[in-house]
Amino acid sequence: MKDLSAPANPLEMLAYILAQQIHDHQIVYIGTGIPMIAGILAHKTHAPNITMVYESGGQDPLPKDLPWSVGCPFTWRKAPAVMEMSYSFAQCYNGYVDIAFLGFAQVDMYGNVNTHQIGKDLLHPKVRMTGSGGNNDLASLSDNLVLVGVQTPDKFVERVDFMTSVGYLTGGNSRKEAGLIGNGPTVVISQCGEFDFEPVTKRMRVKSLAPGWTFDFTQQFTGFELLKPEGEIPQTPMIPDDMLKLLRTEVDPRGVFTTMPTA
Amino acid sequence: MSKYQYNQEAVENLKIEDTSILDRLVDFDSAREAHRKKEHAKVDKRMSLKEAIATFVSDGDCMTDSGFAYVRTPHQAYWEIMRQGKKNLQCIAAPNTNHSFLIFNGNCDYSHNSYVGVEMRGIDRNYDRMLRAGKVKILSEWSHGGVALGLKAAQLGTPGVFSKQMLGSDIMKYNPYLKVVQNPMRSDPDPVVFIPALYPDVSIIHCQVADKYGNAYIYGPTVNDVATAAAARKLIITAEEIVPEADMRNRKGTIIPFFYADAVVELPFGAVPGNMPGYYYWSRQWWEKLIRFGCASDENLKVFFDEWVHGVKDQFDFVEKLGGAKWIAESRIQTKAAEGDHEDIDFSYEEYTRTHDSGLYY
Repeated sequence: MKDLSAPANPLEMLAYILAQQIHDHQIVYIGTGIPMIAGILAHKTHAPNITMVYESGGQDPLPKDLPWSVGCPFTWRKAPAVMEMSYSFAQCYNGYVDIAFLGFAQVDMYGNVNTHQIGKDLLHPKVRMTGSGGNNDLASLSDNLVLVGVQTPDKFVERVDFMTSVGYLTGGNSRKEAGLIGNGPTVVISQCGEFDFEPVTKRMRVKSLAPGWTFDFTQQFTGFELLKPEGEIPQTPMIPDDMLKLLRTEVDPRGVFTTMPTA
Repeated sequence: MSKYQYNQEAVENLKIEDTSILDRLVDFDSAREAHRKKEHAKVDKRMSLKEAIATFVSDGDCMTDSGFAYVRTPHQAYWEIMRQGKKNLQCIAAPNTNHSFLIFNGNCDYSHNSYVGVEMRGIDRNYDRMLRAGKVKILSEWSHGGVALGLKAAQLGTPGVFSKQMLGSDIMKYNPYLKVVQNPMRSDPDPVVFIPALYPDVSIIHCQVADKYGNAYIYGPTVNDVATAAAARKLIITAEEIVPEADMRNRKGTIIPFFYADAVVELPFGAVPGNMPGYYYWSRQWWEKLIRFGCASDENLKVFFDEWVHGVKDQFDFVEKLGGAKWIAESRIQTKAAEGDHEDIDFSYEEYTRTHDSGLYY
């Protein structure tokens, strides 16, 4: 039985900060894991009228238990429509999706994402991971893209080992020149806080820091030089007690996605 | 001299010496010829799974299948391919990941990847090992959306489509089929990716209901299935139930027309141990055991497949091992509840871990 009064762990913090990015009445493109938790948390609190859509095609399912697969019944539970996969990505291209979430194994200073491998050589990687799935499609086509993951210097790197998905490519205007649509990632969320991208160089910049995190301490968790915002750095809001309780009792009662992995 | 001009950078990066291995996936002429020559008459195409795999999956084929991850995926057809020892297959992992086990079993030497892994169950350590050991050669990397568009282009009856996906990414450097071109409709610079129409040799589609001619009804996400059914040179339909043609005429929903199909197999539990919408939930512990125990080493995976694939005769045998009638009853209620067609139930279960194996699969 989990301790309902324990302080929020980093994954619960992530879920909360992520949920805050969602506004009511939006169409939200969701993957499994923490984004799913955030979607349900937002739906149960400040955004009861959002519409969730999934890459396997489910449109506006009734939320219930947590899906283990993007194709599993919870992603199309009582959905009025289920689209083919090529059409579900087209909804991003055609401007229907308001916000999308993506995870990463590595993210770099320009918000480019790697979900392919550790190591530079595709034919002989150190570790092969999943590859793109829908990651590249959403990154290429979405306007309001939120990247989420746990922050370490190995994951926040100067240059991703393999560029699965383009954020701001090499900074400046390079994303647009490469022909991609949408504005690129708007925010990166980790247990350290929130990061945005400086408008001209498109380099990652601290936006807010979670309680207990300083700029210098956060820099130690980052494999490249972070930009500092002007003025005092705002504090990332803490998850309120009632929402933490909701998260633990109703959203993810078995702690499937919000239990910290043990070594 | 090949009639195809592949993306040369990708060919070099992937170290593909003879590009003819790439041809079949984009060979429209031979696909059209295969479609022209296949049986167009409405005839009874029913046969056993053994016969369908033996007849319509040939060594060296480029293969794809149905569903998403472990939802409506033709696992039992996969096991039969493993038992029959097919060779040199190319598999399109988009979005399915199950070809990893064909690689281990020596059936598949080449992969076209858009996703490898078991989603929230984690990365596929078997594929990782197979790749690093040189037991599988990657022929192309894709995004899910990219490969979906290539298959859709074939269904639409076009040489290909232009896309904004994958531009600028390293995927472009490892996909011989993709090319960046200027959008011919625009005067300002507007790079687009040309994705050619994709024609797999064989597609195996598991569905809820079909008739003996091959009209096939799908409930739940159809993913890429309608496209691959239209594109593939050969199509094997496996179905939970074969029903009279009149029943198909009365159904509302997605239907694959009969003349695409070469074989129709009545195969109840054909997607076991995955999820079949309307019929049964997936066996969560089985997948946990596969990923956590099986995929941990070559030795473990051999033990696992000796037990679950080579040690079973057919899908009924498999269901018996999962728990028989008790498993059927439980998983039917679970899938109905998951789909919202049943009272809420408790989805908690005894998870498989390396230190705890309850031996229960429901």
